[in-house]
Amino acid sequence: MPLLEVESLRVEFGPVTAPVAAVDGVDLALEAGEVVGCVGESGSGKSVTALAVMGLTEFPGRVRARRLAFAGHDLQSLSDRQHRRLVGKDIAMIFQDPLASLNPCYTVAFQLTETLRIHGTEAERSSAKLRRARALELLRQVEIPDAEARLAAFPHQLSGGMAQRAMIAMAIACNPKLLIADEPTTALDVTVQAQVLALLLRLQRERGMALLLITHDLAVVAETAQRVFVMYAGQVVESGPVPQIFDAPLHPYTQALLAALPEHNRDRARLKAIRGVVPGAHDRPAGCLLHPRCDYAVARCRSARPALEGSRDRAARCHFPLDVAGHPSRGWRPEEGRGLPSATT
Amino acid sequence: MPVSTAPAIPLLEASALARHYPVSRGLFREKGLVRALDGVSFSVGEGETLAVVGESGCGKSTLARAVTMIERPTSGSLRVEGEDVATADRQTLRRLRPRVQMVFQNPFASLNPRKKVGTLLEEPLSLNTDTGAQERREAALAMMARVGLRPEHYRRYPHMFSGGQRQRIAVARALMLHPRLVVADEPVSALDVSIQAQVLNLLMELQEELRIAYLFISHNLQVVRHIADQVMVMYLGKAVEYGPKAAIFARPAHPYTRALLASTPTLDAGARRERVALKGELPSPLDPPAGCAFHTRCPYAVERCRSDAPALLPFHEVRVACHRAAEIS
Repeated sequence: MPLLEVESLRVEFGPVTAPVAAVDGVDLALEAGEVVGCVGESGSGKSVTALAVMGLTEFPGRVRARRLAFAGHDLQSLSDRQHRRLVGKDIAMIFQDPLASLNPCYTVAFQLTETLRIHGTEAERSSAKLRRARALELLRQVEIPDAEARLAAFPHQLSGGMAQRAMIAMAIACNPKLLIADEPTTALDVTVQAQVLALLLRLQRERGMALLLITHDLAVVAETAQRVFVMYAGQVVESGPVPQIFDAPLHPYTQALLAALPEHNRDRARLKAIRGVVPGAHDRPAGCLLHPRCDYAVARCRSARPALEGSRDRAARCHFPLDVAGHPSRGWRPEEGRGLPSATT
Repeated sequence: MPVSTAPAIPLLEASALARHYPVSRGLFREKGLVRALDGVSFSVGEGETLAVVGESGCGKSTLARAVTMIERPTSGSLRVEGEDVATADRQTLRRLRPRVQMVFQNPFASLNPRKKVGTLLEEPLSLNTDTGAQERREAALAMMARVGLRPEHYRRYPHMFSGGQRQRIAVARALMLHPRLVVADEPVSALDVSIQAQVLNLLMELQEELRIAYLFISHNLQVVRHIADQVMVMYLGKAVEYGPKAAIFARPAHPYTRALLASTPTLDAGARRERVALKGELPSPLDPPAGCAFHTRCPYAVERCRSDAPALLPFHEVRVACHRAAEIS
């Protein structure tokens, strides 16, 4: 049984009569102890998905799913009380901007021990001294130098990398089975990013926890994850194991994203850009959501929305998934008057 | 001085450029001095791209503020087309400023939300030239066409555009006065990958067409590798390595450059180097380490690095500030 199961997740905002779906059609599955990446551009619904799993979707957002389960518990039928017992303990989350997620009015020690006071073991809940010792130990585990002095520090006294380490310490305080990291290194400098990623992976390995790494950076995923979900405009468009999904993508969007990276365009004058922009929640096109930007779009793509087809290991949401050579399969023919275009602007 | 084959008078030439900021550390404590930019020398020729790379706090943005003549350097010289900005009077500065324009990192913050695109584009002209309204309008529309905006966008407000299109507006605005140099401070780091490619392509097309030079500030080495001619790596206000792009990426000489390259995530598993995990974080610029500023994090640091600050000296095709460059290469 997978640790986290999400099937046909839909998150709506706006009035009930005219809802706007920020996420519509997300299927995710995470095994215990697995590192899974979730990539997509801004507005693709990565964070909304993560917040829905955490039960942190704010009013007026509405979460609906055919199945939303963690370790066998149906998250949708839990009472708020039961939900609170799970979230923060077995599922923890860290966010993009650590200095915005820490409370500026309290010390690191206070915020760290707060988690333990609520979710900790019985001994931890009853002894402040024990909580403080645990907090110190946690700060050492996330490799914060001079941990003892840092306990008394306020968030503004920490650098970005240090604050993110403190966030990680908080998240792992109760030995979660699943850690969701939403763009954990985007706000950090490259050398610090490398340190924090290495730290996350070490903790993941040592504790055997599952890690859902949400990022817009394909290279980060390529270096860390075992499996990837690629999201576009609120849907999962492709999923698969890591080397394969980058070597032979099935979905034209994954292919185009990879082709747009400067490192795939070495010694070339122009980058291969994807034309247009990600459609907003209000202006989703009919048919395949990618078709206005897709080089291979034909009449069928404009009328019928493809389903996510394939196995749990490898799936794509495309009428004409790409073959090993990177060309559309299943009898795809370019339309009259349109050869294989190459978008440069 | 310049590494490349620069013309007789380079477009932009800085030598020993410095900008220090006094900061108060409390009522009874002595004032501190942040050496945000501490003796940097470089030159940019016409139609050339110099990329400045470094982590936050290394002085990249202070450099941008000096080059765009927003702030006067504390010491050193900065010549724009041969005229020294550091000592220039207001008249001269006024004449020089239009030649250097800037594109900012966040197009959501750098465009006035209450002004229409047309107004935004015409503003530089009405402030700096005496062109008529009709002329300005035509110039704005021509520039919009050039950067890939449609004529109907003239009457729209910035909030009606996506990030990529806003950055096009920002680029168009920077080009309205036909500058010779555009300072681009992290111009694509706020954009998505697919949009990033569009904006980078636009910048490169404009460079070929108009022979503009770029001072391209970025922390993204993959982007720099694509767009730059020369690269300058900075650490705590000083240049640690400076030279042609190809040489720096093929054989990084400074340990910091190596660490930056090794820390950059890549898709190519084969090309992934051994991780040179840098310990620690950037020291406080208020209290920089003695000797080589990088010694606290450098895996190769020896006694000498803790006491002597290395100078930026020629080494193979580049210039590098490291005592042990020859040993560790």
